Amino acid sequence: MDYALHLAIITCIYIILSVSLDLIAGYTGILSLAHAAFYGIGAYTTALVAVHLRLPFVWCLAVSLVAAMALGGIVSAPALRIRGDYLVIATFGFQVIFYHALSNWTDFTGGPMGVFGIPQPTVLGYTVTSRSGFLLLTVWLTGICVWACRRLAKAPFGRVLQGIREDEIFTLALGKSISTYKVKVTVIGAVMAAVAGALYASYISFIDPTSFSIMESILILAIVIIGGAGTIWGPALGACLLVTVPELLRFIGIPAAIAPNLRQILYGGLLMGFAIWRPQGLLGRYAFR
Amino acid sequence: MLPQLIANSLIAGSIIILAAIGFGLIYGTARFFHFAQAATITAGAYLTLLGQELFSLPVPLAAVLAVALCGLLGVAMDVCCFRPLRHRHASPLISLLASLGLYIVIQNVISLSFGDNQEVIVAGSGEIPASLLGARLLPVQMAIMATSLTLLLGVAALLRGTRIGKACRAVACDPVLSRTCGVDPDRTLLVVFAIGSALGGAAGVLIALDVGMTPQMGLSVLLLGVVAVIVGGVGSFPGIILGGLLLGFTQHFATWVLGAQWQESIAFGVLLLFLVWRPQGWLGQQLETTTG
Repeated sequence: MDYALHLAIITCIYIILSVSLDLIAGYTGILSLAHAAFYGIGAYTTALVAVHLRLPFVWCLAVSLVAAMALGGIVSAPALRIRGDYLVIATFGFQVIFYHALSNWTDFTGGPMGVFGIPQPTVLGYTVTSRSGFLLLTVWLTGICVWACRRLAKAPFGRVLQGIREDEIFTLALGKSISTYKVKVTVIGAVMAAVAGALYASYISFIDPTSFSIMESILILAIVIIGGAGTIWGPALGACLLVTVPELLRFIGIPAAIAPNLRQILYGGLLMGFAIWRPQGLLGRYAFR
Repeated sequence: MLPQLIANSLIAGSIIILAAIGFGLIYGTARFFHFAQAATITAGAYLTLLGQELFSLPVPLAAVLAVALCGLLGVAMDVCCFRPLRHRHASPLISLLASLGLYIVIQNVISLSFGDNQEVIVAGSGEIPASLLGARLLPVQMAIMATSLTLLLGVAALLRGTRIGKACRAVACDPVLSRTCGVDPDRTLLVVFAIGSALGGAAGVLIALDVGMTPQMGLSVLLLGVVAVIVGGVGSFPGIILGGLLLGFTQHFATWVLGAQWQESIAFGVLLLFLVWRPQGWLGQQLETTTG
């Protein structure tokens, strides 16, 4: 039972990550490989604030959101100048620099040792100690994020984003400032990823840089592509499938030593297969044409 | 101190140039970011190790065989993955994603077969560093410099002077138009993937001989090459040289000040500066930028 609850919590965290990346990549067409950096800044800020300042969860969350906003603003800067595959490399660059900062800025982030002893979250004076309690908190925050993404996507804001994806010049001709929209959507996506990071840090209670590497970014992007970019339910479905299906490896007797590699081979193979045969993903309509 | 620093920068620059040539050739012709080139680089290193340890071949023979096998690997990648994508008129971004997937698969297969630890190739004879103007250079480091210069000139000559080179440039310009002129884009790209991947493999082999290998080595090597290609300007050979040397010198002089662990971050810092202020690179042509 504990195992099922654990899976549900992890799935919810990935739903937040993939749905928020979908706003950036699927709706706006900014194929970002920096999402794990936003996830990481949320997790690290929460962890450091909770460990050193001993503030309640809500305050940790608030500080992480502000940090993620700042990082989102910085990462969106190249998107104002370049697009297409150059932009992928630029976001990749941010991801690599962020990872190196986590592992080398030892005094502040703890370096490769990470941050440990992150306290359990206290919400409204009640400390969440059990898995089921944490699941409740996670589901609640996931619900808010998915609802917000859906509202944004359906609103005129979302239509402008899709306009930018389809034809920048046309959208500009309609009098929309596409730079402003790009910065806004990156900041919104970053903030939601930071929520996921805050949840992850306080759930696992120990974080190190390897959870926020480029592989994590690729995995989140793979979830979005496989689920279906440009829809809200597609990435959510993708997150459910890509988190739970590899767990089946555990049940068919694959040794634990090679399971992480097999899992990544599965992700890579799926990403390749979907790119060739179904680039719009399971539920999607948009295929990065 | 200074001569050694300059020598190290030149070596680093040559490695970056070496990684950049293969990537630049494929990017310039097929027009998508071939991430899986990173897996080819790693494969070159591990195939040399395999040849030397399992079949106890002499190191030079193992190295040449590994380079040839990397060329074949590139051909296989094109036939199995990128040709179907081209026939479906996939966009560069979709090809990039497929290439990313391919990279993850191959990298994990390598790390499953060889383990994640660092491996080194024992070259046998004790290598004596030669002294050159006050800097000490290992024979393999001189080989790296010589190979990267030779390959760079070779590829430049191939693209400028031969029929297949002309076909490459034609396909890069317009695949449909080149087909109407009797140039088969599929066949041309097959050759490009074979040569480009063999070049990547050569980079992997030389780096492995110099500093050893890990299954993750390819990505950081490739990314430095990508940065050099972009900083120099896509499609410009002098650009690749300038980009590679700029990166090599920046890295080593910055390492002197900041420490070695920031090398990659510095390379990407240079890249981001270029992308924001001069996206077409030093010597490149105008490229598609955003409006507004």
